[in-house]
Amino acid sequence: MDLYEMRGRLQVIAEENTASEEEEENEEEDEFVMVRNRKMTSDPSDRPNAWCIDCGVPTHSNPREHTHTQHRVITISTAAQEIKGELCKRSSSLAEKITQMDNFLSNLEEIFITVEENFGRQEQNLEQHYNDVLQSLSQRFRDNSAALLDEKKLKLEALYGQLLSCGDALTASKELIEHAQELHRCEDTHIFLQTVISIIKRMEEFSKDEVELKVCVCLDFAPPPSDLTEVQHMMDSVNVVPAPSAPVMNPQLVNSASPSSLRVCWSLFSDDTVDFYQLYCRQICEDIATETVQEASVLRVKETHCVVKDLYPNSQYEFWVTATNTTGISPASEKAVYMTVPSPPDIRQHECASCLEAALIRWDSGNTNPVESYTLELCEDGELDHAVTESIVAIPTCECVVQLQPWKCYIITVRAVNIGGSSEKSRPIKISTTGTFFHLLKETAHPSLCVLDDGFTIVYPDEDLPLSDMVFTESSFNSCVAVLGDLIPVRGRHYWEIEVDDWTEYRVGVAFEDTQRSSYLGANATSWCLRHIRTPSRHKYEFLHNGWSADVRITVQPLRVGVFLDYDSGTLSFYNTHLQQHLHTFRFTENESKRKWMNGQMNRQVPPTNDSYWIRGCHSSFV
Amino acid sequence: MAATCRNKIREKKGQAMALTQVSSNKCCGGYQKVFEHDSSELKCKMKFGIYLPPKAESGKCPVLYWLSGLTCTEQNFITKSGSQRAASEHGIIIVTPDTSPRGCNIEGEDESWDFGTGAGFYVDASQEPWKTNYRMYSYVTEELPRLINSNFPVDPEKMSISGHSMGGHGALICALKNPGKYKAVSAFAPICNPMQCAWGQKAFSGYLGPEKSTWEAYDATVLAASYSGPELDILIDQGRDDQFLSASQLLPDNLIAACSEKKIPVVFRLQQGYDHSYYFVFSFIDDHIKHHAKYLNA
Repeated sequence: MDLYEMRGRLQVIAEENTASEEEEENEEEDEFVMVRNRKMTSDPSDRPNAWCIDCGVPTHSNPREHTHTQHRVITISTAAQEIKGELCKRSSSLAEKITQMDNFLSNLEEIFITVEENFGRQEQNLEQHYNDVLQSLSQRFRDNSAALLDEKKLKLEALYGQLLSCGDALTASKELIEHAQELHRCEDTHIFLQTVISIIKRMEEFSKDEVELKVCVCLDFAPPPSDLTEVQHMMDSVNVVPAPSAPVMNPQLVNSASPSSLRVCWSLFSDDTVDFYQLYCRQICEDIATETVQEASVLRVKETHCVVKDLYPNSQYEFWVTATNTTGISPASEKAVYMTVPSPPDIRQHECASCLEAALIRWDSGNTNPVESYTLELCEDGELDHAVTESIVAIPTCECVVQLQPWKCYIITVRAVNIGGSSEKSRPIKISTTGTFFHLLKETAHPSLCVLDDGFTIVYPDEDLPLSDMVFTESSFNSCVAVLGDLIPVRGRHYWEIEVDDWTEYRVGVAFEDTQRSSYLGANATSWCLRHIRTPSRHKYEFLHNGWSADVRITVQPLRVGVFLDYDSGTLSFYNTHLQQHLHTFRFTENESKRKWMNGQMNRQVPPTNDSYWIRGCHSSFV
Repeated sequence: MAATCRNKIREKKGQAMALTQVSSNKCCGGYQKVFEHDSSELKCKMKFGIYLPPKAESGKCPVLYWLSGLTCTEQNFITKSGSQRAASEHGIIIVTPDTSPRGCNIEGEDESWDFGTGAGFYVDASQEPWKTNYRMYSYVTEELPRLINSNFPVDPEKMSISGHSMGGHGALICALKNPGKYKAVSAFAPICNPMQCAWGQKAFSGYLGPEKSTWEAYDATVLAASYSGPELDILIDQGRDDQFLSASQLLPDNLIAACSEKKIPVVFRLQQGYDHSYYFVFSFIDDHIKHHAKYLNA
């Protein structure tokens, strides 16, 4: 039966089924109507109000009809409900069966088509094959018959030649005999004797020539060699699958790789039958110095894909594959290059900085060889499931300044990306845009100054190192015992706080990044600071720039100094944070502002600095 | 604005606190006005200046009371300090009372420039013949605020005080004697320790009598040493070339020492080259109004 026809029928059955369901319901009602009518005519008040389960007919519960006295009788509405329920159950199970059959049908259909296709292909193959054999045979026939014709021609030519030469010899003999006879009849002895000698000589010569009386050609017919093994081979191979051709490697798919594994795919020509593939894998060493070619590992795979594991992250691997079946092994495919994704980067918590409007994130690659780029993702802390709200892609280096909204808390992660895909997220960093947050730059610290591991605290030990033990670098302060902080290179408003020890003498402020390392902060034109000096009688505060200080006296010593740097208004203000007391404001000159505008590095200009004991930078909100 | 004020003035007619507008000039988007009224505290007619910023047309504003120095009237500050621009910007009303009762016909009141008329010293006098009229302390801390609160769109909870020289002394003692009443205080070249200077000694012995213990109630340095109350943030500017500084009339060091001892926050700025004049006041008035705005608009 045609499958489509069958399917059509099934559908019809299904429709009928649903239709009959409806009909049944209708019929049911009809029946009731009918019964009711009948009863009404006979006895309007005596409607059947019960149902006999055993007989399956309506009846009366009271008085019970005598035929149902021993039967199970229920009220007619309950019966209707129950039967309806039953009906529903059955029709739903039927519907289920129909669905199953439907599925089965589609399966069958698929199989049908596949079988049909396969057989068609098989048929084609057979036809092709037999055509090949026939062609081969007829070629053989043509070759053989041509050879036979040649042989025949040769033989005939030889025989004819022999015939001619025999005829010639015969004629010559006859002529000689006639000549002799004529001479014999000659009377004149003298003449006879004169001529007979030559005749005799000729006859002697003639008799010497032995006449070849054998047929010169071979009389036997040598049958042509009939080597049919090749044909036999062809015939045999009709039922044998050909060896597969070389498979084709597929390029790497997006998101198919991990740091340690790759999903490799390839395809084969559709006609090929393959029992298994052999996948060869070799790491590509970019290090040219090591000339040793890596050994290729081999995997035996049934499918046309394979997940190769235990690989190195962010590395290139070349893959090629051969296909094998009972007949033989295919040539190797072309080589394809796949790449594992990188390992996640590692955010350098101590080198990140932030302010009201932005954050500077720095990280280590996490991979020994270079990756293509990095992606930075951020979400607001406290958002449900931490859905990424913004990402910055194609970051070429290991740092990025990201614009943020003020007064919020963000969670930031970084991924490394290469052509194989992107790595897992790095460990997150939390950034609060409630103030300016930075760490101290150890490399700028005077050798006598200890920067603690938190990156915020500096300690000036009581005893100075001997000068011979001090190691100065180009960026470190060499006379002022100071250290610079790493301010985020973003203009705008910056506020941070510094906790100072009760009796510490210190200078805190800002300086241009290129401020002289040999001069004291506040003593030159490139730095501005608050200086605390202890005298026997009181605490003295100076607000120093270019060696000059405003004359300000403060009655309550600040233990937490707030520093507010405002690029927009060109001011630097100091506060006693605990009292929210404004202490002093520096105004930058137009030139200083201009210079800052022109020199981007100037942005990175901040630095709590100090003269002695300890001091700590604090991250805090604006007052 | 002018209309509402007039209405209010009309409403108040018949009461003791009747206001008469003397002048009104538009300034920095708002109005600089002068009013006259009969003071019950001083038993005479008193004038005061009031600057109403543009914000006062639509809502209540905080008030900064400015106390002027020796010989001044309400005019000096409003014509010389250039305070209106910053007041307009920060939405602050500035009230500038006169420096003493006037026209009370007390014998000797016009004899010297540093006592009597124009030199009320912001004390309530206890000695005859001054004690009836010379009640400037009660006037600026009680009567005037009541008058202002009931006639102008002010937030009575938000007031602060400042002044120059004798007015700086007045501002400091008003703030130190009334903890919490003034949200902020500042001063230009204030007389910080009147008990120890010639001006103060002359005024106090005249108004308060020879008993020095009564003087202590009006001496900022003494008051600071015993202050207890909400934290005050005091801003003081002083010209380094002020002739009265070198004449030891102002004595800021004594106040600074007392405040350091009591941990009362003071920022004292010695401004190089400035003298005692209103040129000096004009130069730093913006910083002071900003200082007051920080607490008044908080």
